[in-house]
Amino acid sequence: MKKIIFYFYPIVLIFLISSCAHLDSNLYNNKKITEYKLDNYTDVNDFNLDSTYRIQDSLIHVFTLQSKTNSESSSTKIYAIYIGKITSINTDTVIMYCHGNKWHMDFYWQRAKLLANIGGKNNYGVLMIDYRGYGLSEGNPSEDGMYADVDAGLQWLKMNGLTDNRLVIYGFSLGSSSACELTANPRSLTPSKVILEAPFASTAVMVQDGSQLSMPSSFFTNAKIDNAEEIKKINQPLMWIHGTNDLFLNINTHGQVVFNNHKGLYKEAYKITGADHGEIPPKLGYNNYMEAIKLFIRK
Amino acid sequence: MIFSCTPSRIVRPLEKGNKLITAHLGGPLIGFAETTIPIQFTSVMYAQGVSDKLTAFESLHTTSLFFGVFQTDIGVCYKMYYNDKLKLGISATPSLNIAFDKWESNLKIWPLLDVNAYWEITQKKSFFYAGVNNWFELANNKAHEQVQVNNWFINPQLGFNYVRKKWNYNIETKYLAPTIKNEPNVVDYRGINGYGALGIYLGFTRTF
Repeated sequence: MKKIIFYFYPIVLIFLISSCAHLDSNLYNNKKITEYKLDNYTDVNDFNLDSTYRIQDSLIHVFTLQSKTNSESSSTKIYAIYIGKITSINTDTVIMYCHGNKWHMDFYWQRAKLLANIGGKNNYGVLMIDYRGYGLSEGNPSEDGMYADVDAGLQWLKMNGLTDNRLVIYGFSLGSSSACELTANPRSLTPSKVILEAPFASTAVMVQDGSQLSMPSSFFTNAKIDNAEEIKKINQPLMWIHGTNDLFLNINTHGQVVFNNHKGLYKEAYKITGADHGEIPPKLGYNNYMEAIKLFIRK
Repeated sequence: MIFSCTPSRIVRPLEKGNKLITAHLGGPLIGFAETTIPIQFTSVMYAQGVSDKLTAFESLHTTSLFFGVFQTDIGVCYKMYYNDKLKLGISATPSLNIAFDKWESNLKIWPLLDVNAYWEITQKKSFFYAGVNNWFELANNKAHEQVQVNNWFINPQLGFNYVRKKWNYNIETKYLAPTIKNEPNVVDYRGINGYGALGIYLGFTRTF
């Protein structure tokens, strides 16, 4: 008996204390930087726009927000960029852009510029934030933290006069989780429309795609991201865009499941032939991409 | 594909009463930080010869354990055929892979069946082997009411066991899920012509 206890004790001990070792931190592809370079950013990018999409300096506002989850006792400083006139937020339509998993806002700056130029030069306001741990934002990435960070952005918009009916939330890839969560379970504002570009269905699908088995996601991650379930609570109009050649998030196991589960009155799908993850705007064509979003927002 | 975290557990049954402990390391090849690496799964295994034809074994997946998942293989290796003249044998290794996590108390059990042919090449009985590892997924559904399309995964494998007096060394390569496309997938598996994933595994064995 003593022998059994001797052998099993370390196993049980490791099993019990292993809470400090989970793969979640490896899920986040954040990168720290020393400054935001925006148009002067020269590192790897999905695409670069020409000067016709340039945003005048007076309409670019880089600032910080304080974000706090329900379980935290202190706030985390995160960075945000607003494109547009802050004084016009009380009348403008604003797109809350929830970026993907890669690095920081510099990487997504070109995308934010496209959104700002939909329907005319600087037509819509666009707010983008770096989740905690990304870019210059302090702290470490977490699922709860990510939702709190986007909501901190929404609080800022509300404080500046934005109302639910003029808020459109846009989630790209990882950002689809914040877009779905904060629309299904609204906090500061309730988005009037939802746009999901290359969304993922859930952490369960990610694990099952990776393993090819019907494996519980809890074997790999504590993240409870479940867009395929959250979308069932969303009645707002949905626009779904996904590349047919998305080699990272399978259009059939991820995006299509989310789209099918939306039970609202209106939804539209754009399956972009040949587009990989992150290739949708250039493959669809910038003008076509912007026109499709404009029509959806104005519908 | 990420499921196959070990090489073939026992290929040649032990003699009755013999025991061994093995440390295994390796996994499927993936693209990571612009290079190709094997996922570093680790496990330890204890095996004992029940008879000259039958060896029982149990393993503990140490990487999984470190991340809060108790995972084990329990099984036996049975010598089905042996030709003294050719030094050639065939074995079958049915086992169960059992995993239980402390986070949500999820439990999964997967049956496995390895069938290997081995060929002893030295007096100390080092041997080459070739065979197939079969994984069976019993569930018919996946998350969000999606259908589990593949329930049987056939993974060919090839290995060499270098036998010394007390220590044995094993290297094995496996072609995981060779009939399944490895893209699109959140994991950047490295297979052949876009199918499956190649795995590389090492084993370090102490016999008693």
